[in-house]
Amino acid sequence: MPPAFPSPAWLSSFHNKLNADPQYASIAKKWEGDLIFSIEPDGQFPETVHFYFDLWHGKCRASRTLTSPDEVNALFTISAPFANWKRILDGDLNPMQALLTQKLKVRGNMGYLMRNVPVVLDFARCAQELSKTD
Amino acid sequence: MLQPILKIDLTTRAISQFTVPPEWARDYLGAASLAARLLFDELSAELDPLSPEAPLLFLNGPLTGTAGPAVGRFVVCGKSPATGLWAESNCGGFWGPELRKAGFDGVWITGRAEAPLWVWINNGQVELRDASHLWGRGPYEVQSLVAAETAKNVRVAAIGIAGESLIPFSLILCDHGRVAGRTGLGAVMGAKNLKAIAVKGAGEVPLIDWAAYQPVRAQANRDLRENNVTQVLKSLGSGSAADYFDYIGTMPKQYYQSGVFAGAEKVTGAAMAETILTGVSACHACVIACGRVVALADGQKRKGPEYETIAGFGPNLLIDDLSAVTRLGELCDGYGLDSISASNITGLAFKLFADGRITTADTGGVRLAWGDAAAAEFCVHAMATRAGLGAWLALGARKLAAHFGDEEDAVQVNGLELAYHDPRGASGMALVYATSPRGGCHNQSDYFIVDLGQCEEDIGVHYYDRHVGVGKARNVALHQDWRTVGNALVLCQFANVPPMQVLVLINTALGLDWAMDDLMRCGERAWNLKRVINHRLGLTRANDKLPKALLEPYTDGGAAGYVPPLEEMLSAYYHARGWDETTGQPTPEKLRALGLDWANL
Repeated sequence: MPPAFPSPAWLSSFHNKLNADPQYASIAKKWEGDLIFSIEPDGQFPETVHFYFDLWHGKCRASRTLTSPDEVNALFTISAPFANWKRILDGDLNPMQALLTQKLKVRGNMGYLMRNVPVVLDFARCAQELSKTD
Repeated sequence: MLQPILKIDLTTRAISQFTVPPEWARDYLGAASLAARLLFDELSAELDPLSPEAPLLFLNGPLTGTAGPAVGRFVVCGKSPATGLWAESNCGGFWGPELRKAGFDGVWITGRAEAPLWVWINNGQVELRDASHLWGRGPYEVQSLVAAETAKNVRVAAIGIAGESLIPFSLILCDHGRVAGRTGLGAVMGAKNLKAIAVKGAGEVPLIDWAAYQPVRAQANRDLRENNVTQVLKSLGSGSAADYFDYIGTMPKQYYQSGVFAGAEKVTGAAMAETILTGVSACHACVIACGRVVALADGQKRKGPEYETIAGFGPNLLIDDLSAVTRLGELCDGYGLDSISASNITGLAFKLFADGRITTADTGGVRLAWGDAAAAEFCVHAMATRAGLGAWLALGARKLAAHFGDEEDAVQVNGLELAYHDPRGASGMALVYATSPRGGCHNQSDYFIVDLGQCEEDIGVHYYDRHVGVGKARNVALHQDWRTVGNALVLCQFANVPPMQVLVLINTALGLDWAMDDLMRCGERAWNLKRVINHRLGLTRANDKLPKALLEPYTDGGAAGYVPPLEEMLSAYYHARGWDETTGQPTPEKLRALGLDWANL
């Protein structure tokens, strides 16, 4: 069974997945920046969770759960209700479609984001693959 | 429409006005859709678009000037000198809202002035003024001279020398470089000896129910401001997605021959933000502000290029110098040339030179080498002035290719040069280009963005993989209908306003009680009406096609190996539209269902 999202075990497994994935290492080899996943409560999940990732040259240097997204000045914050995160992780919602239809909200350095859309999409692929792990 | 349409016969100098029948305003909403109804009886196969008899209609949408979400636009319509078909081209800036404040919802021009003139519309008063001192000048110069003659904040829609010399891809420019660029309506102005229309108004923009509209408008703008796409466009302009378009292969390179160009990353919205960007500009009441202000080495601030100019004068020519691309776009604006057509034609000239069909004997010694910005400048100067090779460049890509070898080499549809969204990377664009009422155009449906994921579930426009072909035909038709609603309002395509919110805006502004089906039917009605107009102008089923280059796969890049199955897609599309598959015409039953019995072919 894959660890439940968004548990500390999931965060730890995802951290390890990023550092073990050769495709991500290649695509993200020039990436320099941190980001936050903000999981917002909805009918399926009652809590707010903020995951922090320090990503550098195709590796995840650090990850942790934040009490507040204001604890760090991350390059990006990507936020969505739990159900939308789950649909993405389950492969039922294309991440780009989620961005373009406001099912995910992105705030941060848009120039860097648009320069690196393939990296972000591959980051999402890793998360999806983790969810399928058993 | 709640205000009259001004009618000016430049031959007789007669000035009158008329009111649009309320049922037409309801059934077509405004702008391009209403223009199709108004001009239906005026357009014929025999009509020369550059003749005095040809109409030229500037028209607002019902929300223009209301400070709704990105609706400060107007449209210009008529018969295209580029295609011989329906012409429409909408434009941002402030001209449309100012016209409404001056007391009119449109200006209908016919005739030909004996000598160049410009029209001055000032708070309901109309004058025809001598333009001999403006003739031969660029649109920005005309703005300054007219302002000096009238009022500081007058809004001017003007042509450059391209329009004066009837180049079939000449534009109409207003404000800070906002243009009605496509289908060559600048040449129609030029043919009428009409250099500019200046407007100034201080009146209230009329609506049925301002009190009901105001909170809806305000909420829509707040929502739009928070939208992801808005955030990206505000930060990086319309070139924001250039990196991604390059990656997935929807941005053509080397005149649609190559899927890869290493220098593409140097000419994008992000690259602009990292280098020459100094500020932004916005159209009337727009929360997006996609316009770019840049400074080059001379320190002078100027308009920065938008996506089409970036792609057309950048990767399309293998040019990786953003300053050069900026100058080329500026050159087009100054001459009054549509930068999509101008860059497409320049790319074709480069290709023909590489193939040995254009030689230095044709160019006066200039080598049209890929990547050479100076050679591109040579082409733009030449086409605008019709000097030397420019005499052929100025005729458009189709005629240029035909003269130097094979018409099939031109990347155009029905005489309109294609924009820079390759159907091999986003298959829906195959149908969009092949069936657009105005030729190779991406503004009747920017379906490439749906192919990337921006679906509209409210209206049944779902997400399909960008390389699904036949299965998305109905989706494309629905999206065309939806964008036809947008072009009737005129709602900027960059504004990601949800359909349900658009419905509420229209209902409150116009006192309607429409359901979504009514709104979509309104779009479908106008789409079919434009199709009927084009059949009357000579379009046949055979016109629904793509240029040869787009039916050959790329060997590299993000779209390598894929070609859209156009014929199968077209069959599915005609079926979805309720059109006759043999003739490509709307069936009598379809026309009747849309209330278009009177337009039956």
